[in-house]
Amino acid sequence: MTNTFLRLQAIVAKDHKLDIDIITADASLESLGIDSLGVAELLFNIEDEFRVRLPVEPVDGLTTVGDVARFIDTLIAAQPAPTADAALVLPPGAAPLA
Amino acid sequence: MRRVAVTGIGVLSPLGNGCDEVFNAARNGRSAVARLTGKAAERLRAPLAAVVAFDAAEHFDPAKARMLDRVSQLAIVAARCATADAGLDLKAVDLDRAGVFVGIGMGGSTSMDDGYQTLYGEGSDRIKPLLILMGMHNAPAAWIGIENGFRGPNLTYSTACSSSAVAIGEAWLRVASGSLDLALAGGSEAPLSLGSLKAWEAMHTLAAVDASDPSASCKPFSADRSGMVLGEGAAVMVLEPWDRALARGAKIHGEILGYGLVTDASHIAKPSVEGQAAAMRAALASARLDPSQIDSINAHGTGTQANDATETAAIKQVFGARAPRIPVSATKAMHGHLLGAAGALECVLSLLALQHNTALPTMHLHSSDPLCDLDYVPNAAREDAAGRTMLSNSFAFGGTNAVLVLGRAVEK
Repeated sequence: MTNTFLRLQAIVAKDHKLDIDIITADASLESLGIDSLGVAELLFNIEDEFRVRLPVEPVDGLTTVGDVARFIDTLIAAQPAPTADAALVLPPGAAPLA
Repeated sequence: MRRVAVTGIGVLSPLGNGCDEVFNAARNGRSAVARLTGKAAERLRAPLAAVVAFDAAEHFDPAKARMLDRVSQLAIVAARCATADAGLDLKAVDLDRAGVFVGIGMGGSTSMDDGYQTLYGEGSDRIKPLLILMGMHNAPAAWIGIENGFRGPNLTYSTACSSSAVAIGEAWLRVASGSLDLALAGGSEAPLSLGSLKAWEAMHTLAAVDASDPSASCKPFSADRSGMVLGEGAAVMVLEPWDRALARGAKIHGEILGYGLVTDASHIAKPSVEGQAAAMRAALASARLDPSQIDSINAHGTGTQANDATETAAIKQVFGARAPRIPVSATKAMHGHLLGAAGALECVLSLLALQHNTALPTMHLHSSDPLCDLDYVPNAAREDAAGRTMLSNSFAFGGTNAVLVLGRAVEK
């Protein structure tokens, strides 16, 4: 299991008061009670925890916890070297709301 | 018009949660007004409020609780209590003919305050993603509708301090007229953020702290009154046609007999004798009652100089020579001013007063004011005095005066 997944697992367990064992890579977000609003909140927390910036375009295709972990890794890989004034802004339209 | 019964009550208030706690506290004159403590209190000239004992974690899972401002949390739980109290079987309800009517003054003000603190105070652009859903005024009503599956009108009324009296009155109109068979109606308010407390303070409407007894700081109709104290809470009622309530064997708490709504159209903040009196007359007309048939009144009675003198004059204008013999209760002395939820809490208190035939006391009234010379049931409840029919007055900044006519549950 990657470091990213373990950190994500901890966030989800804490925010949703879930037993960490059920937060597997294959577990669907829906099965954990995380709907579209929950995903918006999760992405907000991910920006803080991983010091990443979400892309401008809408985020979709996040069905399982593993999907989210891979998405975070993509963001980290694409991240420019941090600067002191790097703004961490969720761009308009980026939240995957229904 | 059909008769409308109140068959369920849910109330979370500074006086307690549930009808028994609320009524007993009010009958015993127990004030829930207290000194605020903590950091925010240091910023206030008169750190007073009436707070509800409420722990969201007992009612919502953590993720749900985070997306609800306290004003929605209180409203949802009050509505759950009301539907449970009514023993409603939602499977037997035509959900297209069921509506939700909620009064609210300040919206999700605590969440908005927190958002502004992040944005301006901390200079951060990291606003919580669900802030809109937490702050919007119609969130409490929307959640109540979602929980119950009511597909009829889902309406939020924001007419300042008369909001929830308007909500109940408008719900009554629809059930009475036959356009709805069921309504959840009431109000919710959670205004105790630093931002809204400071805004009310800036208007010079808030009471000074009574040095000898802070819980006695709100003194409606007393010459030494200095203003109101903000309170939080929610009260929601189940309204249904009287005959249907009887047919399903429901417990009936009381009856809504009429509703008057008259706007001053004169001043944004100054109360008007004519407007208040006209609203009381309109309420009586809608109930087809003569002033002589009103046994007691729950006053708007905020404890401000302007309201209490104006309301006294308006009651005298409507009831004439009989006015001094009508018990007039100002319960805000005990539970504070719940703003958008005030009319709903006071409607509930009035129904309970009628049930127990007990006129509730106006506490902290020790100094007579020549401009306030009615029988305010000072400082102690009076048994056998509420009678069978009451007015509940709610007046507001903006000039929307709403009056409900309430009756003890009796067969006709």
